[in-house]
Amino acid sequence: MDNAIEVENLTKYYGDLLAVDHISFEVRQGEVFGFLGPNGAGKTTTQRMLTTLLEPTEGRIVINGHDLAHDAYPVKQQMGLVPEESNVYTELSAWDNLLFTAQLYRVPRGGRAKQAQQLLETFGLWEKRDVKVENFSKGMRRRLSIAMAIIHRPTLLFLDEPTPGLDVQSARVIRDLIRQLNAEGTTIFLTTHQIEEANQLCDRVAIIHHGRIAAIDTPERLKAAFRKVQSVEVALEPDGQAHGEVLKTLPGVTTSVKMGDKWRLYTEDPSALLPQVMDYARANGLKVISLSTFGPSLEDVFLELTGQQVGTVRHGMQEEKPRRRGIKGQMGGGQ
Amino acid sequence: MRGRWLQRLQDELAQAWAVLVKDLKTQYLRPGMIMFAFLMPFFMFFSFSVRREMAAAQGVARLLALTTMFTASAAGPFIIPLERRLGTYDRFLAAPMSLLTLLLGKTSVGALFGIGVSLFSLTVGVVAFGATIAQPWLLAAGVILGSFSFSALGLIFGSIPTRNPGDVQMPSTLLRWALLFISGVFIPLSEMSPAARAVAYLSPLTYAQDLMNHAVVGMGLLSPWLDLLVLLASGILFMVPPVWMHRRGRVLGY
Repeated sequence: MDNAIEVENLTKYYGDLLAVDHISFEVRQGEVFGFLGPNGAGKTTTQRMLTTLLEPTEGRIVINGHDLAHDAYPVKQQMGLVPEESNVYTELSAWDNLLFTAQLYRVPRGGRAKQAQQLLETFGLWEKRDVKVENFSKGMRRRLSIAMAIIHRPTLLFLDEPTPGLDVQSARVIRDLIRQLNAEGTTIFLTTHQIEEANQLCDRVAIIHHGRIAAIDTPERLKAAFRKVQSVEVALEPDGQAHGEVLKTLPGVTTSVKMGDKWRLYTEDPSALLPQVMDYARANGLKVISLSTFGPSLEDVFLELTGQQVGTVRHGMQEEKPRRRGIKGQMGGGQ
Repeated sequence: MRGRWLQRLQDELAQAWAVLVKDLKTQYLRPGMIMFAFLMPFFMFFSFSVRREMAAAQGVARLLALTTMFTASAAGPFIIPLERRLGTYDRFLAAPMSLLTLLLGKTSVGALFGIGVSLFSLTVGVVAFGATIAQPWLLAAGVILGSFSFSALGLIFGSIPTRNPGDVQMPSTLLRWALLFISGVFIPLSEMSPAARAVAYLSPLTYAQDLMNHAVVGMGLLSPWLDLLVLLASGILFMVPPVWMHRRGRVLGY
């Protein structure tokens, strides 16, 4: 059994609304698989279908050799789920949360306390084991939520946006934990909209857009596409349309886009472009109000992967527009 | 093969027990539970019983029927939508246990609340008002069966696919109030018109009240066995819509 997850033609409609559009992919045993996409792209819907919480409209899901439609019980025993919101019981202590989950997953009675202690120590919560979770910070709740998801030692762990909203230290701790779990043999299905997180953690990444898989590949291969869409953003004074005409002719610039009072210059090598922009400003007596470099945004990667021009959409995550039954999406991305 | 099924049954019962204990720990002090499950039946009782000539035993029988129904049926409509909103309900749905086990656990929560508050009412009736119990075993069976049946009734509303407890509270309260007035709690069955009595026979609360009358006062209009049978059957019947609604919720994404 090479694949932990096999998905064929998975589709989900909410009424007329098409959320996931006939997607197919596999997740190999022991890998960290990233599932990337902006809000509303269909990530969480897909994950909820994979974890039995949502019934697909169409398609087939096989997890660890079991067809989810007919044989969900053994799959549930083998998987853990960390949803986007830490769904811990705030009225209970960390210790009680873990013991309750252990009971729910039928962890043998003799091993529950030992397992709970080990997890609380690993996750840095042992000292707070008797404190009610309502007094925990967001990062502590997140760690507890992960501990609860793995108390029964699942072979497959689903994580939905594990780090957004956390401080840098907590996010780092959680990423380290994910790496550790994977090193111990757990297959990880990581849903995220953070490219860098996927880059750091994932063996392979699928990009979902408008409910369809736009690409599946290793981060390194995807980054080959990402490199084209790095950019330098400059604001000059006095501003003017004429700057764009000149700036786009600078060596290495692939596209220039006016964004408010700034110009965004797309390039594979921002460090080489920065001095050229400064030279241009000096030569023309212009004042540089701001000058920044940007890594590729997920949206730019989408545009690259789907053959559209970068800069045609404003940077930053945008909500996906819902598609309705019978209306085909505009994206040309294949599976 | 038999051993595997026995193990599975044992696991499912243990999981239902875990759900029950967790809910008892986390829910009983929530304001909604205090209001709808603990205070409401006493409020109703005193509103409709004070300054009316009534023997202590009659009052206790009425209070027991009220607490059994109101308290037991309050848990489901309050707890489940709240858990859906907090995301903790997904924890149950993703766990390796059957939907029936989850529903059994949830029904037991309401039933235990109902039994607990009924015991409190009984103690007050016996100690403070000197009421006597004609048939204690019948009373125990009535309180237990009634609590399970009404808890399952509450579960129907709790299973409505929504994350907002308010969406569920209103219809469930409306139904419970309607049951209260058609079921011979405030107007005895014997004093009802034939048409009103025909409607009363559709309500499980009618049989619970009649059973309490048998158990506490020593007399009722219907056979106590019929009362017990109807409460048992309605409890089982009330589990069917929640199963269907949970399946529907899985399609809709709740």
